[in-house]
This record gives sequence, C-alpha cells and structure tokens, in this order.
Amino acid sequence: MQFDWSVILEALPQLLKGAQLTLTIAVIGLGIGFLIGCVAGLMRAYGNSIISLVAFAYIELIRGTPIIVQVMFIYFALPLVADIRIDPVTAAITSITINSGAYTAEIVRGALLSIHPGLREAGLSLGLPAWKVLTYVTGPLAFRRMIPALGNQFIISLKDTSVFIVIGVGELTRQGQEVMATNFRAVEIWSAVAILYFIMTTVLASVLRGIEKRMRIL
Amino acid sequence: MSIIEFKNVTKRFGSVTILDGVDLAVEPGEKIVLIGPSGSGKSTLLRCINGLEKIQGGDLIVDGRSITEGGSNIRLIRQEAGMVFQQFNLFPQMTALENVAFGPRRVRGSSLAEARDQANELLARVGLAERASHYPSELSGGQQQRVAIARALAVRPKVMLFDEPTSALDPELRHEVLQVMQSLAEEGMTMIVVTHEIGFARQVGTRLIFMENGHISVDGNPQEMLANTDNPRLRDFLRHVVP
Repeated sequence: MQFDWSVILEALPQLLKGAQLTLTIAVIGLGIGFLIGCVAGLMRAYGNSIISLVAFAYIELIRGTPIIVQVMFIYFALPLVADIRIDPVTAAITSITINSGAYTAEIVRGALLSIHPGLREAGLSLGLPAWKVLTYVTGPLAFRRMIPALGNQFIISLKDTSVFIVIGVGELTRQGQEVMATNFRAVEIWSAVAILYFIMTTVLASVLRGIEKRMRIL
Repeated sequence: MSIIEFKNVTKRFGSVTILDGVDLAVEPGEKIVLIGPSGSGKSTLLRCINGLEKIQGGDLIVDGRSITEGGSNIRLIRQEAGMVFQQFNLFPQMTALENVAFGPRRVRGSSLAEARDQANELLARVGLAERASHYPSELSGGQQQRVAIARALAVRPKVMLFDEPTSALDPELRHEVLQVMQSLAEEGMTMIVVTHEIGFARQVGTRLIFMENGHISVDGNPQEMLANTDNPRLRDFLRHVVP
C-alpha cells in the first residue's frame, strides 16, 4: 500500500480540533485533580484516623475500578440514580479529575512521608503554625520529589481521555475514528493520531522536567 | 519565678511510661546538663518543653504558659524555647542565611532587610559570616550545627534546648559547637542540654541532672556530682561515658 500524505493534510483540521479538546479535558482535569490529590494526600499523611479513612475510601474506590466504568457511571447512571444530567465533556472532565486525583493523592502522600520528620519538627520548633511549615518547608521539598511520578500520572491521564470515545466526546481518538469511517485510510489516520498524542505527552513531560530543574532542592 | 516548671509530668508512648511524674523547676540563667542512659527519658523531657511531645499527666509551665493549653499557646512557648537537634535539621532548600532569617521572617514578621541583617549578625556570632550563601549540603556537620544554633537564636528565645547537639559530629568538629554553646552560656542564656559531654557539664553547667527510667535520680552541682557521687548507678554511668 502507499502512504498518502494528502489524506493526513485533509484530515488535520478535524484531528487538531480533537487534540484541542483532548488537551482541554486533560489540563482542566489534571489541574483540579492535582488539587484534590493534594488535599486527599494531606488527609492520608497527616489526618486523624477518620479523616485518613475518608481519603483512603476515595482512593481505593477510584483505583479499584476502570476509568471507562467510572465515566459510564457518571454519564449514564448518575442521571438515573441522582437525577444529575451533565453533557459529555463535563462528564469527561469530571472523570479525569476524580481519577487522577486518587492516583495523585498517593503520590502526594508518599512524597510528604519521605521528607525527614526532623525538618517538620525544626519548623514547628521555631513557633510556626503547621500550615506555614507545610507551605515553606516540607511542601516545596515534597513537591520536587513528586515531579517524576506526577509526570507519569499526567501522561497516563492525558492518554486516558481516549476512552471518552464511549460517551461521544469529540476528542482526538473520536475524531480519528470519524475520519476513518469516511475515508477508510487506517494507516495514515491512526499514524497521525498517534503522533499528535506523542507530541502532547512529550511537551507535558518536558514542562515538568523544566520545573524540576528550576527547583534547586536536594 | 521559674521559667520552666514540670509538675508531676507523665509521658507515655502507648503502654510504655517514659516520664514518670517528673518535678523540675528551671530558674532563668541556669545551665542544666541532662545525662542518663539511653531510654532514660532525657530527650523526651526536653521535647515536652516545647510541645514536640504531648504530656499525658501533670502540668508543664513554660514562661508562664501551660503547655497543656492548646491553640496559639504552644506556638508562643516555642518562640520562647529554641531547639537544637542532634541531626541539625537545617532546611536543605535554603542557604545558611535563609535558614537563620526564616524564623524572624515567618514567625516574628520582620522585614526581609531586617531579618537578613540580623541573620548576618548571628552567623558572624557563630563564626560563619563567610558561609552565609552556602547551602547546608555544602557545610560540614559542625558548621551546620552552628547555623542551626543561629537559626534558633534568631527568634530571640528566652531558653535554649539542646538535644544531643554534638552526638552526630566527628570528635574534631564537636569543639567548635561546644565553644559556641559556651559563649552563649557566658552571655547569660538559660540552657538545658542533653549530652554525653561531661567536660561541658563540668565547665559550663550550673546544674547536673542524672535521669534513670523516667525519673530524676540525682540533681545537683556538676563539680560536686562529678568529683564524688554516692549514687552507684551514676558512678557506673560516668565510668562508661568519661574516657
């Protein structure tokens, strides 16, 4: 068979539109997911037994079920059980948020616990409230240690957006599928889709690498 | 009035009793050296004073405030009782200067310039003026511990608590830390020092306390206690630590 570049060129506007939506879902979902992950991670690391248990239940529930089931539940089951109706894109963002939040929580907890407890004690001993010790001393140290694992998680979540094809979100994989259905050029279209994912994950990874290098910590 | 007062203080970890009804009053200006076998409760006693360990019974008054009252009370106590740790615990992402300026900036709310000036002054006092811009990883253990002393002093505490400040140091580096502590003592600082440095107890200490099994078993003048003690266990202990 012959690789026809013009097919890609023709499909590119539609694929880029999909990539844009993929990126939007991933960035918003990961952004909010990171905040949720920080809160849940702090609850696990420093909370009393009840607070820790609440975070633990959330993390285990999300990690223990496939993201495709989670998004199906949010989009198809939630309207039935709780009369909550949301559009596909909101459902997609919600899924990525709660899904990445659970994994990020464990990354945050691990990083916080890896910081020598003496540093926290040294901060507290100066008479600082615990939140200031976290903000200025242990938090920045923990954040630097989180970056490699966060990079992993961000890349996985970005690629996970491709499962939203099942609820009809017009993200990159869905757009590829639609183009394919009209021209049947599987090789060109899926190559182009793969390359677009690869570019997005590479950019994401290098941004995190840049942050890591900029932070001069241990 | 005593600056620190233990009233029948009990501290337990689970079912293990670490401090068993300790009574102790510390007067301003005293330099107390705490010795005792490992597990006798001396570090725990020190850590109770600034609330790093919670007490389960009795009361502990520091600078007129009870450690058992929560809220901002404990932070105010900590600002009056500076702590120096065995492992230095300097903040690794900050330079020596930033470590020392950190307390005044974030606790006392000093301006950046003010905090820096004071930090430079304190670093000079511990003999590290030219190391101000070094990170802890670029300093020797003795230098790190001197920065840690300056960091604690920067908050202007009334008491300094030292938890085995030289135990993690090579013998040739201990001297520089002990010297800083001695000059601090000569300036009149109230100090409580957990240490195995018997020479320091003899030269600098105004009071020596020997702890055993969560009790204070001997409390007296260092010179007299070290010269001739009638307590057989203290004698035995000293035989093991004094080379």
